[in-house]
Amino acid sequence: METILRSAEMAEIMLVPVRHHSPACSCHIRKVIAQWRPDAVLVEGPDNANALLPIMVHEDTRAPFAIYYAYHDKAKKISDEQEYYKCYYPFLDYSPELTALREADKNMTYVSFIDLSYGDILAASAKKLAEEEAPRSYNDDYLLAHNSYLQMLCEKTGLRSFDEFWEKYFEINGMYEDSGSWFSHLSTYCALARENTPEEALQREGCLAREQHMAARIALQALRGSGAGIFPGEKKMQRILVVTGGFHTPGLQEYLSDARWEETVRHAKNIAHYVPGTDESVYLMPYSMESADALNGYASGMPFAGFYQKVWEGIDRQSQNPYGEAVLDFLVSAGKAVRKDDGALSTYDEICAWQMAQGLCSLRGKPQPGAYELQDAVLASYVKGECDLSSDMPVRALRRLMTGTGSGALCARADVPPIVLDFQNQCRVFGIRTDSTLEKEVVLSIFSSRKHRGMSMLFHRLNFLHTDFAKRLKGPNLQLRIDRSLIREIWKYKHSAQVSAALIDVSVHGATIEEAAVSLVQEQLLQDQKADSAALLLTQVFEMGISGQLEQVYERVHTLILQDMDFYSNADALRYLMMMEKLGTLYGSDLAFDALLHTSVRKLITLLPGIAQMSDDALDAGMDALKLLYQLTGKRGPQYADEREDFYAALVRMQEDVQIHAGLNGCIHGILYGGGREDAKAVNAVSQGYLTGTKDQLLKTAVFFRGLFFAARDLILMERGMLEGIDAFLGQVDEEEFMELLPQLRMAFAYFTPAETDKIAKRAAGLHRRTGQELMARAEVLPDWYAYGKELDRYARGYLYRAQDL
Amino acid sequence: MQETIKPPVEVRYQEELEALRKADEEQGNKKPDNWLMSPKAVRTFILGSDKPIRYKRKTCQIRKKYFGNDALVERCIVTLAGSRGLMLVGEPGTAKTMLSELLSAAISGNSKNTIQGTAGTTEDMIKYSWNYALLLAKGPSREALVPAPLYIGMEKGILTRFEEITRTPAEIQDSLISVLSDKVLNVPELGDDGFLFARPGFNVIGTANTRDKGVNEMSSALKRRFNFETVMPVNKVSLEKQIILNEVRMLAEESHVDMKADEDVAELLASTYHELREGVSSYGHRIDRPNAVMSTAEAVSVYYQTMLTGYYYGDGHLDVECLVQNLVGAISKEDRDDLEKVKGYFNTVVRAKSDKEGGLWRQYYEARKWLK
Repeated sequence: METILRSAEMAEIMLVPVRHHSPACSCHIRKVIAQWRPDAVLVEGPDNANALLPIMVHEDTRAPFAIYYAYHDKAKKISDEQEYYKCYYPFLDYSPELTALREADKNMTYVSFIDLSYGDILAASAKKLAEEEAPRSYNDDYLLAHNSYLQMLCEKTGLRSFDEFWEKYFEINGMYEDSGSWFSHLSTYCALARENTPEEALQREGCLAREQHMAARIALQALRGSGAGIFPGEKKMQRILVVTGGFHTPGLQEYLSDARWEETVRHAKNIAHYVPGTDESVYLMPYSMESADALNGYASGMPFAGFYQKVWEGIDRQSQNPYGEAVLDFLVSAGKAVRKDDGALSTYDEICAWQMAQGLCSLRGKPQPGAYELQDAVLASYVKGECDLSSDMPVRALRRLMTGTGSGALCARADVPPIVLDFQNQCRVFGIRTDSTLEKEVVLSIFSSRKHRGMSMLFHRLNFLHTDFAKRLKGPNLQLRIDRSLIREIWKYKHSAQVSAALIDVSVHGATIEEAAVSLVQEQLLQDQKADSAALLLTQVFEMGISGQLEQVYERVHTLILQDMDFYSNADALRYLMMMEKLGTLYGSDLAFDALLHTSVRKLITLLPGIAQMSDDALDAGMDALKLLYQLTGKRGPQYADEREDFYAALVRMQEDVQIHAGLNGCIHGILYGGGREDAKAVNAVSQGYLTGTKDQLLKTAVFFRGLFFAARDLILMERGMLEGIDAFLGQVDEEEFMELLPQLRMAFAYFTPAETDKIAKRAAGLHRRTGQELMARAEVLPDWYAYGKELDRYARGYLYRAQDL
Repeated sequence: MQETIKPPVEVRYQEELEALRKADEEQGNKKPDNWLMSPKAVRTFILGSDKPIRYKRKTCQIRKKYFGNDALVERCIVTLAGSRGLMLVGEPGTAKTMLSELLSAAISGNSKNTIQGTAGTTEDMIKYSWNYALLLAKGPSREALVPAPLYIGMEKGILTRFEEITRTPAEIQDSLISVLSDKVLNVPELGDDGFLFARPGFNVIGTANTRDKGVNEMSSALKRRFNFETVMPVNKVSLEKQIILNEVRMLAEESHVDMKADEDVAELLASTYHELREGVSSYGHRIDRPNAVMSTAEAVSVYYQTMLTGYYYGDGHLDVECLVQNLVGAISKEDRDDLEKVKGYFNTVVRAKSDKEGGLWRQYYEARKWLK
């Protein structure tokens, strides 16, 4: 491998290109370090994470873990919004960077990260960020995987994707190459990939700024003890190994070349940061294979973390056939998973799959079968019938296994971020146990014990932060508006490494759980555009007991009620508000909801005429809203007098719409009747209108009654003509139509109590001069009648047979 | 003039096959027993190669014959080298039969050993029947036995193709089960000599149409004897265009129609078929999908008809109006509603493309009057 030696006084530099998660690369890095024995190993990684290095290589730290970077743009270096940014730099056991760090640690070699910090990278590529989403992964392998050169390469080699290309030529074949030629192939490939990436893309991703920074850091180390005035008195380093993503190697080479060396040294003497270091934070967090799998989200290296972990384990125990062993292992595990699910897979299927994997491997000219042969084998041998959603379970099961389920852990010395400390403190205060991973149950009297309310608030906040720590089994549910009469909450909680990981994940939003929750509420409020979702958030704020935030949410709900033109969303918001007004004292809120309720009612009344021609699906929601408005404007006395009048006026206007939905029309008449604005006769006249109308209108009578009885079921008992109307209606429809109408009729009569139904039935029977008992009674069938019938039947059959013979 | 309308694959590509076999021998490639060429050569025959082969003092270019999914072809080849049968399933017109012919021609040099599955297929059409004159004269003997494709495949160690397997009744399909698992066929009439043990090289390639799903569902016992490969429609317009052009050129050559295929028209037709099949246009319009089969094979047929009309009745050019007329004929086979859907496609997508791209798309849009 080529090295750079600028002068005899300076250290020799070896630039090693890597792909971020690559077993073959890790394997070769190990060999290179053993052979070349560098004095310093410089690794691509933000230089403000150097303090984490001892933890990363600690023997108790288990991969996968990730460096978590957070940046709060207080200084407005990226945009005026002062937003929060976060990203992860995941490490797996077979990540070359981690291998380099571990090997260097073993040899007591100096190690350091040399890249710009996350905030600096963001600021360096700030121009473009206004238009695009900020990168969430530190890795940039996607630069290697998405360029025109590569597309052509895949087409030419007949391979399906970059990952398949990589596996064949660099991973599997790479096992049989010496390190020098492996890295030289990778360098060539990276140089070609880079040549085919436009300059703007490099600029946009902040590559150029990063490379300049990395080159400066390398130069600093190379000049150590060289008499150049940097680190005076320090001992000169002989050999420096630089491990960076392959995409950056050509860039670094350029910065370290004769042409730009002076510029790099100047930069090295005056390394500047784009953003203030205090606005950035860096932690280590346990990570999972699932998150590390490229296909599950951002392209953060190679896919199939679980599969390559297995391969790496094989390489580690110096197996001659690590890929073949891993493929066989996964074929068997996938078989087991399939059998567990539907049981229709034989050992012979597994044998066929193994033969398929081996056959494909030889046909494709690979020395060992890899991930793609494994997938092909399962597809061909495990899937029976046409491959579609109903039959591709084996493929999905394999995919899950290949992703892997493992998660990492940090050693005890790892720094704990403030939010995790806050969590631990609060758990200690409330006596919540976090020293075991067993699930525990607590019953909280939230309205009678301050401590219990505090615990409940903590659990709600943790849930809001998606930590998966606690689960509410029972208790009032303000979001679904159910179980509101319960006075206790039952929770189950369970501590795991994932809880800390999830907390670190939101630590960008604040140093305590409350701060993070507040910040997330604010963020969500800005996203919410509907009155109902903002009101729903208000209920969550209520439960979390974030009193400081109530005002703000209150204001936002107010704005959204005014903006939102959707009747149903406003009606839902009103329901939440009424509920919270009732529960305010219990939850310790002193917020006055009256103004908000008033606005909401006014808005709903304005929107009312627009729903007259609603669809059938919306009927229930519409009727509920009308009833709610009726109750609210009716109960609240004089302060709602104006609204009550406007409400009735709106209802009258809606009635004038001839296309009005029959169910809604029924409901409006019911309300007007209940409010004394219409008498029973008038209502009866409208129902007669439907009854005597054309066929289509006649069929709408059932839904009209449904609406009517929803709002004023006493009408049928008070107004005699109403029952006669229904009776006449039922007489007019034929059996088929009756069956069609039956569901609506059932719903219409479901609003009555059993006693009322009985009364109605009696009156209906009376219309036909019968009594209720007569309707229910069934005449007895005597045994003699059966015998007679049977005899008659036998005689008739005999007669017919005889007639036939004649 | 050629003697057949459509010569079998092994005749049509005779030179390529021979060149590949020779190259195989020279390179000493390993091949399964009774295969005429190595799996690698079979792959090259079907998926083509950039490198021409020297054969009989000239260069022989191996063309790509199957487009869409190279990995699927590789899996098919490996399946056939193993002990399980190969079942190709998919929508009509996705080149399942073509793939099965290519595989048979390459592996066994014979794509004609075929059972054509229909509702009337009986067991003797699959296994064997008798020459009754000889049967009466000499009694049951091998001489009096008339072998059917399965018998021939087992006896000679070649592939047997079973087309449209799900069209045949379930009990007939099931007669394959014992043959596929034990690789032995028992002819009870021949007594102790009645066991036919399959020679190496024998295997079965079945094809089944997913539109026939549920007509005669395969038993799970039979399914277990096959590796299934689902052949999907081509998912790239550029590839579909290439297939249309290749097929049409070959058809024209065989029929001595001396007319050049128009690439732009092929692209227009490929886009139409692709968009109607996927239900979304390249501009993002949502489109109602017709119920008719929108396969590439149908597109080839529409194109070729248009080409023939231009050749015999027209001025030797492809006429877009004629293309639309043929399109109507192809689409409104089963359901008149489909025509409305195509009209909708013209009024939204084709109109938008005509406005934006003009040229051929404008002519295409103007020809919408034939959509009736």
